[in-house]
Amino acid sequence: MNRKDLYEAIGQADSDMLERSEKDKKKEKSRRTRWAAAVAAVLVIAVISAIALNPHNAPLVTTAYAVSEAAYPKMAPYPSEDAPSFDRDYDAWWESVQAQRREQGYADGLEPFFASGIRQFLSGSDTENRACSPLNIYMALGMLAELTGGGSRQQILDLLGADSIEALRSQAGDVWNAHYRDDGATTSILASSLWLNQNISFVQSTLDTLSDTYYASSFQGEMGSEGFNDALRAWLNEQTGGTLKEQTEGISLDSRTVLALASTLYFQARWQDEFNKNRTEAGTFYSAAGDETCDFMHSSGSGTYYWGERFGAVTKNLSNGGGTVLFILPDEGITAEDLLSDDEAMNFILSRDEWENTKHLIINLALPKFDITSQMDLNEGLKALGITDVFDSGMSDFTPMTTDTDGIFVSKTQHDVRVVIDEEGVTASAYTLMTEAGAGMPPSEEMDFVLDRPFLFVLDSYDGLPLFAGIVNQP
Amino acid sequence: MEDSRIIELYWKRSSDAITQSKEKYGSYCFAVANNILGNTEDSEECVNDTWFHAWNAMPPHRPDSLRMFFAKITRRVSFDRFKLLSAKKRGGGEIAAVLDELAECIAAETDIENELIAKELGESIRLFVRSLPARESDIFLRRYFFTEPIERIVSRYGLTSNNTAVILSRTRSRLKDHLIKEGYLDE
Repeated sequence: MNRKDLYEAIGQADSDMLERSEKDKKKEKSRRTRWAAAVAAVLVIAVISAIALNPHNAPLVTTAYAVSEAAYPKMAPYPSEDAPSFDRDYDAWWESVQAQRREQGYADGLEPFFASGIRQFLSGSDTENRACSPLNIYMALGMLAELTGGGSRQQILDLLGADSIEALRSQAGDVWNAHYRDDGATTSILASSLWLNQNISFVQSTLDTLSDTYYASSFQGEMGSEGFNDALRAWLNEQTGGTLKEQTEGISLDSRTVLALASTLYFQARWQDEFNKNRTEAGTFYSAAGDETCDFMHSSGSGTYYWGERFGAVTKNLSNGGGTVLFILPDEGITAEDLLSDDEAMNFILSRDEWENTKHLIINLALPKFDITSQMDLNEGLKALGITDVFDSGMSDFTPMTTDTDGIFVSKTQHDVRVVIDEEGVTASAYTLMTEAGAGMPPSEEMDFVLDRPFLFVLDSYDGLPLFAGIVNQP
Repeated sequence: MEDSRIIELYWKRSSDAITQSKEKYGSYCFAVANNILGNTEDSEECVNDTWFHAWNAMPPHRPDSLRMFFAKITRRVSFDRFKLLSAKKRGGGEIAAVLDELAECIAAETDIENELIAKELGESIRLFVRSLPARESDIFLRRYFFTEPIERIVSRYGLTSNNTAVILSRTRSRLKDHLIKEGYLDE
């Protein structure tokens, strides 16, 4: 036997094994040889959904305290590349990542909710930026379903495509775990908390379910008091890395609130393929609100270009399996909002892997740096999606939560999102700056993909669920 | 176009089969070939040969994974081309380094004359790859099946070059043990 025989024999490896090694293609850096400057892109996103439940009448008093705090799974930290123990540490990290993953298909059936949610909550942005977290809204609604009964619960189950509360519970638990990542390199935590009125007694088994399935912490205190409001704001700020401080400053609970439910999704990851800061330059963004000058980040490399009847799209991967950001540019004469009602575009957003109109070529991407904040009350949107009873004190059923008082209704569903995309903030020393030898480039085709007019973005988790979606009208 | 429809076109002997294959997998196969050959012209020719071989194989073959089916053909055709070119001292991408590394698994190089033994060796290695932990087998296949440069593997898995080299070296050593155990090599 010689080396060539051996090389040829390796050609008989099973296709499924080869495909598995391909799956990491998403994470593959594809760029011509070029030592990148010592910068890495960072993406910081935070979202808050707060649902406040109010009764018609209910007196309250006293101080706030934590009843229980959720204990999240422990993850091995992403290892230092220079450590002598890297090999062992990497294995430990990899194992803890695998432990969070769930069987394929665990999120089946959620697509209609994501599609209708994205369409509903991003529509009507006019010239403003708009962003939402479909996954965060899913978790918040899942918890609301636990607190409700009868028709109130059924409406939520219907929207989420769940046959029963048990099915929803099981799926939500899988979604939570599959999206949990806190390894020092990527942070993705779907955190939830319950803010309980101290004068009301709650059904303990329901609170236990929320704690077990949704990793929800519980706090009990005097609604409307400064101390309790401070505690809520502090919790929100802590969960969102302080990125939404401006928004949380305005949050306070009404003294009549029975229970407030807050869920956050804080996500931070680096680009797999960092933008070279030296290539960032000013350019014009053509918006309906008027042209504006902003900084455009540039990168060039082989990648996949996707297209539909009315849009083109490219993706950009996040490191360490952190997910993918999809940038969808409407064709000239089409608005980002038009794409929300375009079935083809929505199909693309939710099932990109099966998309046929793709081409692998060299893409010269120009992406504006952006920092967008979006604040909205989901009440009207949820009503349009068929959830009406919980907003109506005459129709709502909150008996699984408490029987102390009736006439409870959801007074507010605040959903705040901030998305920051740029190329700064992380020193390169903690991570490998990767290079590419230039092999494997496609023959000669090349295109420019310039996001210089309003566009849609979707941040998918590693297994394709939409963590965030938004329209950038003004970067 | 979906893979199943492309396969159907081959079975119907429609020339669209090749057009569609080229459109969907042309760049991909080029990458596979170019890793081995490191030369655009030769790589493009091997990709064209790939469609020809696929045309002859389908029917009767109906691959489960069309992409891997093409990858295997391109790899084989490109390696044949490499052997031809290396006899003429021409070309060579990453393959020379890859072959040098594989030589470490073999004590003394001889030629396999028997096709049956070559087939059995392939089967034995197939099982060996299956027995590896996921990360090891992925990295092994990226390097020794797809002939990828270390830098690309480093990038793919977020490892250091040194660490990747260590993993590959360890796996080669296991492969050598496996080949000895299976009777392909003397201790």
